[in-house]
Amino acid sequence: MKTHHAKRHVVAFWLFIAPCLILFSVFFLLPLILSVGFSFTNYDGWKTMDFIGLSNYGELIKDIKFYQALGRTFGYTLFSLPFKVIVPLLIALLLCSKRVAIKSLGRTMVYIPSLLSSLVVGITINWMFSAEYGLVNYIIQSSGGTPLEWALNPRLATFVISFASNWASTGFYMVIFIGGINNIPADLYEAASIDGSSGLQTFFHITIPMLAPTTFLVTLLSTVNLLKEYALVQGITQGGPGLNTTFIIQFIFDKGFNQMQYGYASAISLLVMIIFALIAYFQFKLSNGGEQK
Amino acid sequence: MKRSSQLSKVFWPSFWTFVVAAAMVFPIVWLVFSSFKQTGELFSYPLRMFPTEWTASHYAKVINDGFFGYVFNSLFLAVVGTLITLVISSMCGYALAIYRFDVSYTNLIFGIFLLGTLIPGETLTVPQVAVISELGLYNNIWGVILPVVTTTTGIFMFRQQYLSIPLSFVEAARIDGSNEAQTFFHVMLPLGTSSTVTLAIFSFMWRWNDYILPLLVLSEQRKYTIQIAIKNYIGFNGVDWSSILAASVMSMVPIIILFIILQRHIIGGLSASGIKG
Repeated sequence: MKTHHAKRHVVAFWLFIAPCLILFSVFFLLPLILSVGFSFTNYDGWKTMDFIGLSNYGELIKDIKFYQALGRTFGYTLFSLPFKVIVPLLIALLLCSKRVAIKSLGRTMVYIPSLLSSLVVGITINWMFSAEYGLVNYIIQSSGGTPLEWALNPRLATFVISFASNWASTGFYMVIFIGGINNIPADLYEAASIDGSSGLQTFFHITIPMLAPTTFLVTLLSTVNLLKEYALVQGITQGGPGLNTTFIIQFIFDKGFNQMQYGYASAISLLVMIIFALIAYFQFKLSNGGEQK
Repeated sequence: MKRSSQLSKVFWPSFWTFVVAAAMVFPIVWLVFSSFKQTGELFSYPLRMFPTEWTASHYAKVINDGFFGYVFNSLFLAVVGTLITLVISSMCGYALAIYRFDVSYTNLIFGIFLLGTLIPGETLTVPQVAVISELGLYNNIWGVILPVVTTTTGIFMFRQQYLSIPLSFVEAARIDGSNEAQTFFHVMLPLGTSSTVTLAIFSFMWRWNDYILPLLVLSEQRKYTIQIAIKNYIGFNGVDWSSILAASVMSMVPIIILFIILQRHIIGGLSASGIKG
């Protein structure tokens, strides 16, 4: 009787997970295996698919453009990361303050940009930064400055993309920080105030350490999201000027879908996957997973 | 004297909140007002916040370009995709939680699903498109829906939710003679409502905003989703600004309205649903 029940439960288990497992296998695990397979071929997405051994990888380690795209992606990530973490943290602290009267309206408004698609985020910010008739250049000009070529200068173009990316993610990370702040036990603050701790001391000795796990989570999420920035760029520079804002994911897509080198693109994808995983791993190790030592 | 210092204690944080909030929505407000300016005014100085002469002509043009067809396609993708996500991830999360003592390898299977969060989907897009074509789903809305409906986030949320419900609930239902499917649909599913609402909102937003797969999979213009239609106003010779402004505004309206109605679930759900740190 007992074993009969147990068996029935195993069957029910498999039936319940079947839809997810099948779809996940077909559209995630299979592509994962295929990308390993493709990376040893010269597959062009159409008819040709010959085994060419490690040639793709041989080509890849000599591909200057690959290193440039990867380097640009790292530069962009490192430049944007501090803003991605600190700005939402400060806004969350402001919006958790007891002294703010319009708290929930404030949270709603800060969150709204997070609702837009990356493409529309790019377009919205691009519209403010266009070289001619853009609002930002108009303000610069009106106050006597020289308008900037936001789209033609590689550094400025990268700045605009980073600005857009930060604008769009602030609300989401703010909400995560608010969750973290609300989880800090109130008696810690009471004890601190009884001990005569000043506002700043409390902030640096209680709030910041208690938020370490949340900060780690936000850092990890923003790193990955910055490394794979793609759709947003399509609304701003489409990778230009030249290849100056072509980050690694766009580099893979260009190889795969525009130049029809599915095999080569798969080899790059695998390498990038490993690099991303290593970065996440080191972040995890460095911060002890956000736990305090 | 005391009163005024107390007032200023409340005043400055509230003032800064107002400044931050206004700055955050300003780019959207600027975009919305711009979309009602005539083309001549869009490209002439001085720039003004409000249109000197309001016009809906850009909207008329975008609608003439078949925008409502794209809206329909996006709605189909978002609604059908969300329904499938809710059904399959609640079933999967439920099974991973409830049968954890009956089936010894539930954690192993959960671990396989977790790969989905460890590996960014973008690095698998190339072979994914090959699979979609092989299945005959190229240029088919299902080729955009089926690959994305399994979300690890969804499975995770439901698993957490059902782990928090005592197994004795399930036992009681079984003793009352309900079979496994009945137990799930009649007893347990209603207990998962809060996860359902949060996931429904997020899933709808994700699908509405999906970009990469629709761009690569949908080749025929009448099958485009809104995002792809917007992208098409960015041409080789530059951006068709007057149209793209109107199209962008129209694409964000439904999602912002939905958010304002359901925001309690989003902000509450996010900070309560395991994303706690």
